[in-house]
Amino acid sequence: MDETGSGRSNEAFDDRNELDPGDAALLVEQTARQAQRAFDLVSPVAAAVGAGVFLVGYGAVWWSIRGEATYTGSPGWAIGVLYGAIGVAAIVGGTVARRATAGVRGRSARRQVAQAVAVGAAGIGAWMVQGALLHLGVPAEIVYGVYGPTVPLIALAAAGAGVAATRERWPELWLSVAIIAVASLSTFFGPQGAWGLTGLGAAVALLIYASAMWRRRAAKR
Amino acid sequence: MTGVPEEPLDPLIHAPARLRIMVTLAALNDGDTLSFSRLQKLLDLTPGNLISHLRRLEDAHYVSTEKSGAGIASLTSVALTPRGRAALDGYTAALRELLRAL
Repeated sequence: MDETGSGRSNEAFDDRNELDPGDAALLVEQTARQAQRAFDLVSPVAAAVGAGVFLVGYGAVWWSIRGEATYTGSPGWAIGVLYGAIGVAAIVGGTVARRATAGVRGRSARRQVAQAVAVGAAGIGAWMVQGALLHLGVPAEIVYGVYGPTVPLIALAAAGAGVAATRERWPELWLSVAIIAVASLSTFFGPQGAWGLTGLGAAVALLIYASAMWRRRAAKR
Repeated sequence: MTGVPEEPLDPLIHAPARLRIMVTLAALNDGDTLSFSRLQKLLDLTPGNLISHLRRLEDAHYVSTEKSGAGIASLTSVALTPRGRAALDGYTAALRELLRAL
């Protein structure tokens, strides 16, 4: 080992420091919980931030087109708020992932890269089709008003559901399924429904997920 | 199981710092290693203290360490060995038995 220092006296102290079985069991439980939390890629704070991102980002676009009898597209400020919110989500998600994986090397890191590639490919594929639809002359009301807020999100959530299912992470699986359900149902309500209902529904699903995580963690304390 | 001590509570693991090292490394997925510096940060131990405990666990083949790179940029990675995982499983099972008997 490259790290240097003498810990023999501390070690001797640790060996003399007798643990009774109850203390040992408590130490095992506390340490396991701390370690699992430290290595966990999901966080209730990130989920709550995600809910805020949907409310603010999708909410801004919905606000800008609400009451329109004919879809005319979203103004620049609403698109700016949407992409700003997506940027915040990317920063928070990246920070949580970096903290969880700091110092961890091996099979998990390789698997996470593969999962990121799968999720990224699903999102990029859906956005490519959006471009193709516009190129083929599909009206902007459908391309930007209905397809834009829902289909890429459904693709990302479906890829996320696959990852959650293979890792047997049931809360994340149900969160992904809820987002797919709300996004697909909202397409029946046109551009205002697609932006408004998807934003609200995804935010509610993420808040329920975050609160369930907080309750589970509090119960284990 | 071979090589796992038959004492009720493995004395090598039954010390607060070494118990925390073993449990923290057991939380990693199979095939993963943890850097020395992250382990030190998680356990809030001094480098010297952590090294001495790791040496004892390594001598018993409970953990493995691997050094990559050279000089000040070198990185030491630590992982629980299959023997270490079996020893920890045996320790926690013995602990449960002891607590049940109390």
